[in-house]
Amino acid sequence: MDLLFWAPVLCAGIVAGASTGLLGGFIVGMRIPFLGICVAHAALAGAVFGALGGLTGPWLLVPALAAAALSAMLVGVVDPQTVRTDINVVLGIVFSLMMGLAFLGLGLFSVYGVSDNEVRNLLWGSLAFCRWRDVRIMVIASVVELLFVLVFYKEMRAILFSRSHAAAAGIHVTFVWTLFLLLASLVLTVNFQTVGGLMIYSLLANPAVAATRLVRGFGRTLFVSGLLGAASGLGGLLISALTDLPTGAMIVILSSLLVGVAAIVGRYLRARELPQSVAEDVNVT
Amino acid sequence: MSSAAVEVNGLQVVRGRRCILSLDKLVIEAGQALTILGPNGAGKSTLLKCCVGLSRIATGSVHVFDQPVHRLGAVALTHLRRRAAYLAQLLAPGSELPLTVREVVGIGRTGRAGLIRPLQRSDWRLVDHWIERLGLRSVATQLYSVLSGGEQRKALLAMAMVQQPEMLLLDEPTANLDVFWREQIVQTLDDLHQDGGLTILLVCHDLEAIPSCVRHVLVLRDGCAVAQGPVEEVLQPTLIAQLYGQGLTVLRHGTRFLLAPTAQRGML
Repeated sequence: MDLLFWAPVLCAGIVAGASTGLLGGFIVGMRIPFLGICVAHAALAGAVFGALGGLTGPWLLVPALAAAALSAMLVGVVDPQTVRTDINVVLGIVFSLMMGLAFLGLGLFSVYGVSDNEVRNLLWGSLAFCRWRDVRIMVIASVVELLFVLVFYKEMRAILFSRSHAAAAGIHVTFVWTLFLLLASLVLTVNFQTVGGLMIYSLLANPAVAATRLVRGFGRTLFVSGLLGAASGLGGLLISALTDLPTGAMIVILSSLLVGVAAIVGRYLRARELPQSVAEDVNVT
Repeated sequence: MSSAAVEVNGLQVVRGRRCILSLDKLVIEAGQALTILGPNGAGKSTLLKCCVGLSRIATGSVHVFDQPVHRLGAVALTHLRRRAAYLAQLLAPGSELPLTVREVVGIGRTGRAGLIRPLQRSDWRLVDHWIERLGLRSVATQLYSVLSGGEQRKALLAMAMVQQPEMLLLDEPTANLDVFWREQIVQTLDDLHQDGGLTILLVCHDLEAIPSCVRHVLVLRDGCAVAQGPVEEVLQPTLIAQLYGQGLTVLRHGTRFLLAPTAQRGML
C-alpha cells in the first residue's frame, strides 16, 4: 500500500464517516433520514449548474452549498402542522424537484457540448482520489459541526424529542432548527463531493441506527454514531485498498453490516441487563 | 399593571372556515386555579394553546402576565413560555434516539437554562427531585419510548414541573393514569397551589380529577363559554345534562366532585 497516496484518503474516510455519522444521529433521531439524500441531490443540482456556468474543482462547492442550503431551508420553513403534511412527504417533494433540476442540468451538458465527467463523479464520489486540500475542507466542516453540537447540545436533545414540547419548554426551536439545517447542508455538501451523493445516505442512516441498538442516552448515541461512521469509512477504504474492490460499495456494505452486528449485540446486552434488573428488584423487596 | 395572569378579550380562533373558539372575556387572576370543562371539540385545548402562543388567533387579544401573546415575537414568546409551563394533551411519540426518562424530564430545564449554558448540577437535582416525587425513580434510566402511557404522562408532567413555572397549563394531566397516580397528581397540584401560589389552568374531562384548590370553572361547548364561575355554582345537574346528556349527575364529596349515572345517586 502506498502510504503517501492513501494517507489523505484514509483521513478523508475517517472524517467523512465521523462527521456524517454524527449528523446522522440527529437526522435519524428526527426520523428524517431522507433529508440527507434530498440535500445531497440539491447540492448536486447546484454543482451541475455551477459547472454549466464554467466553475471547476473546489469552486463547485459554492453553488452546491447554496443549493443545499436553499433546499434545507425550504424544508425548514414548511411547518408540517400548517400544511398538514408529514415532513417526509415535504422532503419527497423537495427531493424530486432537486433531482429533476440536477438531471435537467446534466442533460444540458450534451446540448452545449460540454463534458460532464466532473459532476458525474459527484454522484458516485471520488474518495480514492482525495487529496489533503479536500481533507482540510472536510475537517473545517467537522469542526463547525462539533462546535454546533457543543453549543446546542441540550436544545437539539429537546428538539429531537419533540419540536412542539421543546417550543412549549421555552426553547427557540426555529432558530436552532434553522442553524441545524444550515449545518446539515454544509456537512453533506462538503462530504458529498468525496463520498458521493448516493453513498452519503448510508453513512447518515446506518451508523446512527446501529448506535441506537447499542447504547442508551443522547450523548452516547451521538458519540457511538460518529465512531461507527468513522469505522465504516476507514474499514471500507482498507478493505477496498486490500482487495481492489470499489471503495464506495465497501463502505456502504460495511456500514450496513454494522447495523446487523449492532442489532445482535444490542439484543445480547439487553438480555444480560434483564436478569440484573430482576435481581435488583428482588433485593429491594 | 394588572394582577391578572391571563386576560382574554374578544378571542376568536378559526380553522378553515370554522370558528373553533370564541370567547368574549376571561380573566384569571394570578394564583387562581381554574378548570376548563366541556365535551370533545369544545375548544378547551385551543384555549390553552392560545395562552402560550401555540395556536394562531383570528381576532381579539390574549394577555399573559400582561404581555400580548398574540403580538409577541419569537424571542419574547420563548421567555414567556419559560414562565408558563404547558403540558399537551397528546403524548410525545419521542425521538428515534434512545432518550432516557431523566433526559426527557431534563428538557424542562433547557429553556430556563438559556442558550449555550449547559444544565448545571442544580438543574439535575431538580430533575431528580421531580422524578422521585412522581414515582419515576425506578425507570429514570430506562428509555422513555418503552414506558407505559401513564408513566410517559408522569414524565411529561415532571418535565413541566422542573420548569418551575409561575403558571401551569395542563391539558388532561391525569389521562392514562391509574387511580392511585391520579390522586397523587391531584394532591401534588393542590400542594403546589397552596405552597407556591401557582396559577393553574386545568383542562379535564373527569370531574374527580379536579383538585380541591380549583374554585373556579369555565365550561365550553362548541367553542363558546356556556358557564363560568365558582365550581359549586356552575356544576349543577342541569348543566351536566346539557353538556353530556341525561342520566348523569354531579356528586360532591368535600371539596371534590364526581360524575355518576343517576341510578348510582347517593353512593357517596
